[in-house]
Amino acid sequence: MSAMKRFLDKFMLLDLFAGLGITAKNMFKKKVTIQYPEERWEPAHRFRGMFRLDEDRCIKCTICAKDCPIDIIYIDWHQEVNPETNKKEKVLTRFDIDVQRCMFCGLCEEGCPTEPKSIWLTTKTYELASYDRWSNLYVDMDGLQEWKVRPAYTDEEIA
Amino acid sequence: MDAIQQAVGDPLFYGVVSPALKILVLLFLGVLPLITYLVLAERKILGYMQARVGPNRVGPWGILQPIADVMKLLVKGDNIPNQAVKWAFILAPCLVVAPAFIIFAVIPIGPPAGELGPLDWFVTDVNAGILFVIAMATIGVYGLIIGGWSSNNKFSLMGGLRSAAQMISYEVPQGLSLVAPLILYGTMSLVGMVQAQAAMSWQVRLITLVPMVISFFIYLVAGVAESNRNPFDLPEAESELVAGFHTEYSGMRFALFFLGEYANMIVISAVATTVFLGGWLPPVAALGFIPGPIWFALKVFVFLFAYIWFRGTFPRYRFDQLMDLGWKWLIPLALGNLALTAVIKLWLLYR
Amino acid sequence: MNELNQSPFADVDPATEMSDSLFARGEEMELNFGPQHPSTHGVLRLKLRVDGERITDCYPIIGYLHRGTEKLFELHPFFQNVPHTDRMDYVAAATNNLAYVGAVEKLVGLVIPPRARYIRTILCELQRISSHLLWLATHAIDIGAMTPFFYTFRERELILDLFEQFCGARLTLNCMRPGGLPHDLPVGWTDKCREFIGLFPAACDEYEGLLTHNRIWKKRTVGIGVLPPDVAVDYGITGPMLRGSGIQWDLRKAMPYEAYGEVEFEVPIGQNGDTYDRYLVRMEEMRQANRIIAQCLDKLPEGPILAKRPRVMKAAKDAEVYYGIESPKGEIGFYIVGDGTPNPYRCHVRPPSFVNLQSLPELTKGYLLADLVALIGTTDIVLGEVDR
Repeated sequence: MSAMKRFLDKFMLLDLFAGLGITAKNMFKKKVTIQYPEERWEPAHRFRGMFRLDEDRCIKCTICAKDCPIDIIYIDWHQEVNPETNKKEKVLTRFDIDVQRCMFCGLCEEGCPTEPKSIWLTTKTYELASYDRWSNLYVDMDGLQEWKVRPAYTDEEIA
Repeated sequence: MDAIQQAVGDPLFYGVVSPALKILVLLFLGVLPLITYLVLAERKILGYMQARVGPNRVGPWGILQPIADVMKLLVKGDNIPNQAVKWAFILAPCLVVAPAFIIFAVIPIGPPAGELGPLDWFVTDVNAGILFVIAMATIGVYGLIIGGWSSNNKFSLMGGLRSAAQMISYEVPQGLSLVAPLILYGTMSLVGMVQAQAAMSWQVRLITLVPMVISFFIYLVAGVAESNRNPFDLPEAESELVAGFHTEYSGMRFALFFLGEYANMIVISAVATTVFLGGWLPPVAALGFIPGPIWFALKVFVFLFAYIWFRGTFPRYRFDQLMDLGWKWLIPLALGNLALTAVIKLWLLYR
Repeated sequence: MNELNQSPFADVDPATEMSDSLFARGEEMELNFGPQHPSTHGVLRLKLRVDGERITDCYPIIGYLHRGTEKLFELHPFFQNVPHTDRMDYVAAATNNLAYVGAVEKLVGLVIPPRARYIRTILCELQRISSHLLWLATHAIDIGAMTPFFYTFRERELILDLFEQFCGARLTLNCMRPGGLPHDLPVGWTDKCREFIGLFPAACDEYEGLLTHNRIWKKRTVGIGVLPPDVAVDYGITGPMLRGSGIQWDLRKAMPYEAYGEVEFEVPIGQNGDTYDRYLVRMEEMRQANRIIAQCLDKLPEGPILAKRPRVMKAAKDAEVYYGIESPKGEIGFYIVGDGTPNPYRCHVRPPSFVNLQSLPELTKGYLLADLVALIGTTDIVLGEVDR
């Protein structure tokens, strides 16, 4: 019986037909293609995208700069007297991140002690291409705070 | 048409004008667009089998994609390697494309004159149609060898030789498998074969089923190997070391090789439909109101779909296993089938 | 003058250990299966001597992806080095992470809470499935079957989505810390994971239906690249390559770590040591990984996910540790030497692909060029790991 089955299998090419059947079945299944850029796939909540800084919340502890595995965060701060409260406080002079080398590992965000964090990567932004090399690759403090949440592919603002 | 017929005179009309018009219409308005859209169809169907959609940006469902491809290939630089043999380099793509188109001259798309319109639905009906087909198919091998050799590239020479060896060794089973239906139908002309199929009674069809199925299968396998398609596409596989005979070709020359491969596919499908599936005949007589050429086209499309299906499903054979299959399995099978067919035919003739 | 001092583009290499007899007579041809090639899965350069179609000798030349990872480890404290480990075997980042953090925990002496152990096991097994899916995709497409590539990537997308929901990245995960995990599972993650493991066996059946009994596949893989078990042990090969040759050695069973001691699973072994057996071993490993994930999800305990660890993790001077785990490709191990500061003094990696690659010349001698791609595929190397 099994010899007969083996003979049939070998000469009737059943294994090849099984393979053909699988590909034919897949022809009629739903396709998984997403038509980018008309449809965009929404990243997860914890997705590590482009980072954003909030200068007011930042306490200038420089933990993020120390935690960075590749040392691309450059922070300078100085003491200044705040005219409103007449107390000395730290003020950021420079908070630059070299995006060329950033690997979006999120250790800076993890190290930040403020609640909510002053530097965070969960901005769901991964479309960072631009026509100008230097506008996006070495981002200074203002750039970090003010970039649009999702660079628009069309002219309309996408929040 | 009648005016032209009267002006030119009968022999000239039937001998020159009518075939010329048919070639123009058939080849340039029929086959050439079919080949370019076959490329698109392959990409779309392969995509659908692979859980994705194929090209769909250039025009709805990618319909304008072949036009974009052709325009791109036309404007690409035409490089001839410095040390290449120039005349051979230029000749090789033509030798691949021309025989495929020539074979279309004898393939009947529809019935002869009188049944469906005043003209024959084929360019000409050669008495030894099958021989002509096999002979023209063999010329296509020259193009590969010359293309591989003239490129002055070690790897394309190797690839060209491998490809040529594969094609030559599968010519034999292809020819042998076409002899069996030849015996059963008793005629070599392609039109005659289809008419003989129409005339077979169901008892005869039942008796000759086994040898016909076997030769159909052999012809299909040999056909896939002849056109260098998966699972027999080792000579042109990109993931192998040797990039194939068309490494050095770019632009329109490469497009001609590509076109030749797809034209080959269509030709083999067309011959298979004519010899095995009944050409322009409807499968059931009741459906005869649909004209013959449409049935022919549908049957050819079934074969082309099968080609694309095979490409999407099977891994490829290694070169020595490929030659093994051709020489050690298909040829003895074809010869045995031939003997069986001869016995059956003798029994049918003298019972 | 040895190989290291020569330019990698030197044409004839008297220092390579390649046989010269036929070459000197002009019968063999020397081919460069160059660093840029669609099927070497990275920048691997193989110098081949071929006699017609037969490969008579093969000499792999690596180093095209060397990035100085082991030196980079020495520059930063322990917990900052985890992203660097992601990028070694970039296909299976979670197991790299686990090997490193496991070594650090062993060095510093941390005890991991049970919830963290179970979640880490789930991540590693998901990563095993994902890595094997990618291996199947590339192996199949090298041999000529195009569709398994797309089908496996469809399932792999689901796994990568799971990873993304957990730790924020799909490929370079950075999902473990010395002491446990950076964050807990998000709400609904276990349900999505269960959904995935529910549909995965059917997907496995689909790949098997396309390949396992296919006569063309069998012709291309049965009897190709036979690795005898004693040769495998001599070379120090681990992982599915070793198990394909019939040796029952899996670190998850031999030296259980994380939660592997508490779940039931089988370790498949092959019989002949050829490419087909290794293919079967990896397919079965995917199914067993599915089983492990199901059990872990059922047994997942509650509790903290990070151990109590000192604010600054220091290792004692001259303390050294070696910690190896079973990654999808074999045994990956970290050898860390501390020196009393928060940075490691030396951190050496034992990459499985590097050790498995040694067997490639042995495997390819006598086979045809067309088999070479199948053999590179079956050794399942990732050049990021080989070169670090």
